[in-house]
Amino acid sequence: MKTEKFILSIIAVVFGLLVAGVAFYIFQATKTVQNSNTKTVSFTSPTPTPIPSIFLTVNQPKDEEVVGNKILVVSGKTSSNALITVITDSSEEVITPSGNGDFSTTVNLDEDQNILEIIAIAPNGESIMIKKTVTYSQEEF
Amino acid sequence: MIKIILLFVSCYLLVVASAHAATPTPVDTIQEIRDRLITNIASRVAQLKLVEKRGIIGKVTNSTNTQVTITDFQNNTRFVDVDELTKFSSPNAKGVFGISDISKNSSIGVLGLYNKESRRILARFVNVITIPTIIHGGVSAIDNENFTINITTEEGKPMIVNVENITRTFSYTKDDGYGRSGFSKIKANYNIIVGGVLDKDSENRLTATRIIFFPEIPVSPKVNSLLNKVNESSK
Repeated sequence: MKTEKFILSIIAVVFGLLVAGVAFYIFQATKTVQNSNTKTVSFTSPTPTPIPSIFLTVNQPKDEEVVGNKILVVSGKTSSNALITVITDSSEEVITPSGNGDFSTTVNLDEDQNILEIIAIAPNGESIMIKKTVTYSQEEF
Repeated sequence: MIKIILLFVSCYLLVVASAHAATPTPVDTIQEIRDRLITNIASRVAQLKLVEKRGIIGKVTNSTNTQVTITDFQNNTRFVDVDELTKFSSPNAKGVFGISDISKNSSIGVLGLYNKESRRILARFVNVITIPTIIHGGVSAIDNENFTINITTEEGKPMIVNVENITRTFSYTKDDGYGRSGFSKIKANYNIIVGGVLDKDSENRLTATRIIFFPEIPVSPKVNSLLNKVNESSK
């Protein structure tokens, strides 16, 4: 008797769920959305960033490098017709790269942290700047 | 009786054999030392590769007794650990200077051991520093009476540059190369680089220590369009 009651109650629950599901489906299918409630979203393609006519890579020194020599070599590669300006806390230098764009120069470092700004300027005025921190220290730790 | 004696003898032989097997021979000892050395060297090499000396600069965003958080030039948050061996200094400090004297928004240089795994730096030296400002752009106006130059930077920011007695001015041309010049040689629309110290009261004003200008190079197209806008609005 108890088993019959249990099976009957399960059947009733399943039947109830089915009816509710069908009713919900019919409600959703017949529902109409008014135009005032809808929004038209248009995607605008982003403006492409202009590709600069100049490039700059600095091979030496590495950023955040600690060196034990006051004279530091700065080298890298850029467009062959660009001008390179190397600015430190206490000095500044303007150099021209070689025919293949390689450049190399030396700068004198101050004690502790030095900020190196390497700026490449193209003949049309476009420029790229790379900033590096180099620390001169002879402390042992 | 004989059985018992045989049992004892076999037990004795078993114990002796196992003891003999457990005693390390000279060959085993050498092998063990070699293994230990290899392990130690490998561990040390890994440690050396994992930790390296580094020097960083940044603006203090937070400071506690054991840690300073800074923001570097690339706007990355960097964590600096300090311990009892860390030495602090400041050019403006009159007496003893410590971590408690480091204030928010001050610029510091940190020299220490950087752990590549944890990406934290254990500071050995912390110095309060003044970071010089370098701007690059085009000359939009010159005030000959007040010795100031208006510059529009590559980022489109208008700046006023004070030219003082301490300002060193240089120019670069193809024929003459790089050499000393003067304020009077600077003209509007010149490509210019200025290094100096920002005014405490105004973010748009800079006292120049160095000026480099390029009479033969036009201002970048980006700055040029901004300069045109400035000129149109001033008419």
